[in-house]
Amino acid sequence: MFWLFTSPALLAYLVLFVAPVAYAFWTSFYKWDGMGDKQWRGLRNYQVLFEDPYFRGALVNTLKITFVGGSITFVLSLLLTLVLREMRGRLFARSALFFPSLVNGMVFGIAAGFLFSPSGPVNQALGLLGIDTPPKWLATENLFPMILGTLVWTATGYYTSIIMAAVDQIPPYLYEAAELDGANAFQRFRVVTLPMAWDVIATCAVLWTVSSVKIFELILLFGGSSSATPPADTWNTALYVYVQAFPQATVPRLGMATAAAITSLLMITVITVVLRRLLRREPVEN
Amino acid sequence: MRGRTGVGAAVRIGWLVVWIVVAANLALILWAVLTSLRDGPDILRHTVGLPHDPKFANYVRAFREGGFAQATLNSVLAGGMSSLLAIVLAAPAAYALARHRTRMSSAITMLFALGLGVPGQVLVVPLFVGLAQVDLVDSRLGLTMVYVGLAMPFTVFLLTGFFAGIPTALEEAASIDGAGPVRTFVSVVAPVARGGLVTAFLLQFIASWNETLFALVLTHSQDKVTLPVALAEFVASAQFSGLDYGTMFAGVCIILVPMLALFSWMGARIIQGMTLGIGK
Repeated sequence: MFWLFTSPALLAYLVLFVAPVAYAFWTSFYKWDGMGDKQWRGLRNYQVLFEDPYFRGALVNTLKITFVGGSITFVLSLLLTLVLREMRGRLFARSALFFPSLVNGMVFGIAAGFLFSPSGPVNQALGLLGIDTPPKWLATENLFPMILGTLVWTATGYYTSIIMAAVDQIPPYLYEAAELDGANAFQRFRVVTLPMAWDVIATCAVLWTVSSVKIFELILLFGGSSSATPPADTWNTALYVYVQAFPQATVPRLGMATAAAITSLLMITVITVVLRRLLRREPVEN
Repeated sequence: MRGRTGVGAAVRIGWLVVWIVVAANLALILWAVLTSLRDGPDILRHTVGLPHDPKFANYVRAFREGGFAQATLNSVLAGGMSSLLAIVLAAPAAYALARHRTRMSSAITMLFALGLGVPGQVLVVPLFVGLAQVDLVDSRLGLTMVYVGLAMPFTVFLLTGFFAGIPTALEEAASIDGAGPVRTFVSVVAPVARGGLVTAFLLQFIASWNETLFALVLTHSQDKVTLPVALAEFVASAQFSGLDYGTMFAGVCIILVPMLALFSWMGARIIQGMTLGIGK
């Protein structure tokens, strides 16, 4: 009965998921345009990859999203969780914070193109405040920080909602006891919320690692750029894979694309293992 | 010193920040919906504004000329079919994995869980190459199959946790009555687990509704693309023909509003599902 129940799912998973991962790993050692014969390159593929300035830029952007974006997101989420617990209308607020995570990232990219345009509402509002020379929001060199900002905005809402749901499971008497002992809101957060919700926060950090590396559609259309691919300054590794494997005008470089994909998989693996070690329970229970 | 409702100034500032963010999110949705009812030149003149006389001409154009009608149908089909199939496959497996505590079952559970850490860009080239071999590129069936595969790790993971929380008493009663494992699962366990199955379906539907990378790579004909591809192609076509902003915003809303409706209707379940997947 065990195999009768598990084998259909297992078969689908092996064919459509596990085998492709293995195939990507294998392809990453070849030079291949997708049509002709594969040429063995071995680890040289990875060497060429790391010498490619576009890939290095994409890797740096990915790391910035994961670490810089992640730190800001989690600090903000924890701060919001701290204040949301006692707020009136919190369930409504939670829904409104959560909703952007159900919206395709392209929508934010398109919206930003309008809201931050030179004569757009953001600059008009700044003009009312007396700021007449606002930054060139959508200039190529500013696009990546804008993407990072948008991402932090939507991710903060998402993780706040998730952490808040865990905080709701904490028995209220713990807070009452802490309050009786004279703990203020921040102390209650530190001695009750943080330890009780720690497992969920740690899992969220791992989840962030994976989801931050696969961000794609937000960058694809950011600022309403209408060309086929966004400017290289904004690429992360997912965009790099897409551009290498499915270019508009040049020959596909599937070896490079899969090597970049495997690199991002290894990156996720290393970060996840390190995070799991760092976020073990002991440090908080002082 | 501090009354029942007494909170520090810092917390009050925090509340203000929360409400500003909430207001901004709501304003963004409202703005997208209102803008979709205005005509293109008007949007260019004023980014923010009320529709003079709200018309649905943008939607008519989006559905007729932008290909959004077919794309909506394709999105519903790909999302619905793949979510249903994923659950039909994953539910029995998750149930068996939750009930059998053997070394083999933990190894299989682990194998599925590892998939949670694999980003889509690893699979995109192999799946494209593989589907091209069997002539399933640019086909609804091909895209649906890919979505089923992508859904496996999370759906199995979510449902395993869910089944583990269901008491075994019911199944024991059923097996005393002489029901075999398949009948027990279909007519006793599955009905009890309906809540979890619905949640898994919803989360998978939402994921495929918004999925862009694979849809972009695996579909391109007008009659095969899903909504994210239709929108991306509409924006990309602007470099030749000039962008019709009204129609574009109608397209944005065609992607956005169904999610809004689903969330208003089942929001609690969606949030709970995502938390369950993470918490336990």
